Amino acid sequence: MSKRVDTNRIIDGLFRYFGIACTLFGLLMLGIFLYSVISEGFSRLDWQFFTSLPSRKPEQAGILIPLFGTMWVMILTSMIAIPLGVASGIYLEEYGKKNRLASLIEINITNLAGVPSIIYGLLALEIFVRILGLGKSLLAGSLTLALLILPIIIVATREALKAVPKTIREASYALGATKWQTTWYQILPASSGGIVTGVILAISRAIGETAPLIVIGAMLYITTLPTSPMDDFSVLPIQIFNWLSRPQKGFIINATAAIIVLLSITFILNGIAIYLRNRWQKKVKW
Amino acid sequence: MVKEMSKDKLLAEKVNVFYDEAHVIKDVSISIQPNTVTAFIGPSGCGKSTFLRLINRMNDYIDGFRKTGSILIDGEDIYDRKVRVEDLRKQIGMVFQKPNPFPKSIYENIVYGLRIQGISNKSVLDETVERSLRRAAIWDEVKDNLNKSALSLSGGQQQRICIARTLAVEPSIVLMDEPASALDPISTSKIEQLIHELKSQYTIIIVTHNMQQAGRVSDKVAFFYLGELIEFSETKEIFINPKKELTQNYITGRFG
Amino acid sequence: MDVPKEPEISNALNTDNMTHLEEELSLLKGELTNMWQLAISQLVKTREALVQFDRDLARQVVSAEKRVNSMELKIDRDCENIFALYNPVAVDLRTVLAILKINNNLERTGDISEGVAKYIIYAKEPFDKELLDSTRILEMYDQTNEILEDVLKAFETEDTRLARSIFKRDEVIDEINVSANAVIADYIRAHPDKIEECLYLVSMIRKLERVGDHCKNIAEEIIFNIEAKVLKHKSKKKKEAE
Repeated sequence: MSKRVDTNRIIDGLFRYFGIACTLFGLLMLGIFLYSVISEGFSRLDWQFFTSLPSRKPEQAGILIPLFGTMWVMILTSMIAIPLGVASGIYLEEYGKKNRLASLIEINITNLAGVPSIIYGLLALEIFVRILGLGKSLLAGSLTLALLILPIIIVATREALKAVPKTIREASYALGATKWQTTWYQILPASSGGIVTGVILAISRAIGETAPLIVIGAMLYITTLPTSPMDDFSVLPIQIFNWLSRPQKGFIINATAAIIVLLSITFILNGIAIYLRNRWQKKVKW
Repeated sequence: MVKEMSKDKLLAEKVNVFYDEAHVIKDVSISIQPNTVTAFIGPSGCGKSTFLRLINRMNDYIDGFRKTGSILIDGEDIYDRKVRVEDLRKQIGMVFQKPNPFPKSIYENIVYGLRIQGISNKSVLDETVERSLRRAAIWDEVKDNLNKSALSLSGGQQQRICIARTLAVEPSIVLMDEPASALDPISTSKIEQLIHELKSQYTIIIVTHNMQQAGRVSDKVAFFYLGELIEFSETKEIFINPKKELTQNYITGRFG
Repeated sequence: MDVPKEPEISNALNTDNMTHLEEELSLLKGELTNMWQLAISQLVKTREALVQFDRDLARQVVSAEKRVNSMELKIDRDCENIFALYNPVAVDLRTVLAILKINNNLERTGDISEGVAKYIIYAKEPFDKELLDSTRILEMYDQTNEILEDVLKAFETEDTRLARSIFKRDEVIDEINVSANAVIADYIRAHPDKIEECLYLVSMIRKLERVGDHCKNIAEEIIFNIEAKVLKHKSKKKKEAE
């Protein structure tokens, strides 16, 4: 009998060390990447870098326009995707009949979240840029990204709503509340943490997307700040891509610095998401 | 033919319930008097919870639900087309098996039923909170902490909050689906004591698995088996000399 | 549970399909039946001791009374336990209540046998056979024995008809009791030196009459247990009716 126990304990120990090794490997890679990026690009970060327009000379080029573009895109995309996504999620989860059609819809939405982003670019090119005639504007770009992250928001919303126990709904109905009252006063507040977390993660995904925006024609090189949704635009990932394809070393450094900026934005957004999720989990202990 | 004015609080006649093809309640008729405590007993799956949920129409949400027969409360058919289910549920409160307070403060839990009716006057709400918590015998324990989350209370306290929440909308009937089965003996005893005190103001119907509890709290007992109402008598009769052998076999533990 | 040496009955139980409570009730009934048999045998022994004027037999009865008492205590305690632990309801509840009361009645019957046995020990000489005949005390004994055995049978077989028959049959016992007075009074006038012996006999007859009453009580309890009908303090006519 004890021989069996010994074997089990050995396997247990082996896995433990294997797991640690895997984790360390991932952390190591991340660490190396961060270190090389920061050591190369950190020195380039200064006020001038942030506020300059593009230039043929790397020392003079700055990320003002793409940074602006990223901010704008983030705002517009949120304005489009969040209401659409959350409302759809609420409808599908709370109001929709649970039949085979509903299952089909659920599967397809989940699939959409995994579709390569460049496909969205092609779709957007045809519909937004050409058919609707929006051209390669901020609006078109935001619509494209909104479409991209819509499934993510819908799924996150549904999961957050599903996590609210059925008993809460029952209690609300038993007191004479309508479905909307129950959703508005009980379900949404209870699931808001999960929804917000999902939304933030979706947004931070959107601002990192390059391929669909390139497809619809976001500019690799523009010289003026976009002032309206119909203007041409560029975003940080595209600027990084642009600089990385230039031969001059100065531009590589610029790209690295821009990567640091992009990473920082992503980390901050993710950090907010995690913070909110922890706060939410503390408040709502089922 | 003059029909005598029925003083029944609840009158069910030949009620049948189907979930798609499954026939889960078979021809049940029962009449319940005001200000009494009625216990529904029976083995698992016998239909007692289903029948309970007919009364406040909580079964409406289940796919495939179909009902025949009538259920009258104070003489009115509760399944009539003109009846608004939200109004019905303000008259008939329900307490569930697992305490389910909202993840909000104690205060917000109690006033929710009023807020959804549009009542927002603070003094009305405050007064309702105190009155309901007193009636649920938990005022003294929580009066200094009304803004604490309801989830921070113990199981027995949470259940009493749920009862207070139900009472806040001033129902006339209170339905309880195994309200103490998830609680420890002391909390159970407090809830039973509460039922005893509430009887004078409300009509109470309680589903229970616990025979001794049925004996302690109820005036009459309805025994369900496989969807049928086998026997409905005074509690004393059922426990000393039940009329049907099936009832006797159940309560003496000979089966189920 | 200790099985007394005499008399013994089979305590083999078929526990395959019984609930725990049913097992306990079965054991309890077995204990009661044992005590019952003992009470019957005590009564029979006193009859024998009376006829044969066998004082040793009488002494046996007196010492066996301790066993009757200890059995009563055990049954009382077992009933208490069943109430406390099992919360019996309906027919189970009525069974335990009935057993509790029957237990009591049987213990009194045991006391009576002991009392009669003591008189036999105290008596200086055998009782006059003629007197025994004229008072019909032996007939009384036989009847009492019969109904005590029959009421045991009624208990074991749950035969309420048999239980109901006890009420009428007790009448004979009452009648003998009443008429014995005159008979003994006459005898005392005729044999004034035998007055002590006669007084013992009067007491014995009274005691036997009370055994009859206990059997009636037991019959009432059996009927309550089976039919949930309360016959206490009802007229004899109602008791006999079915």
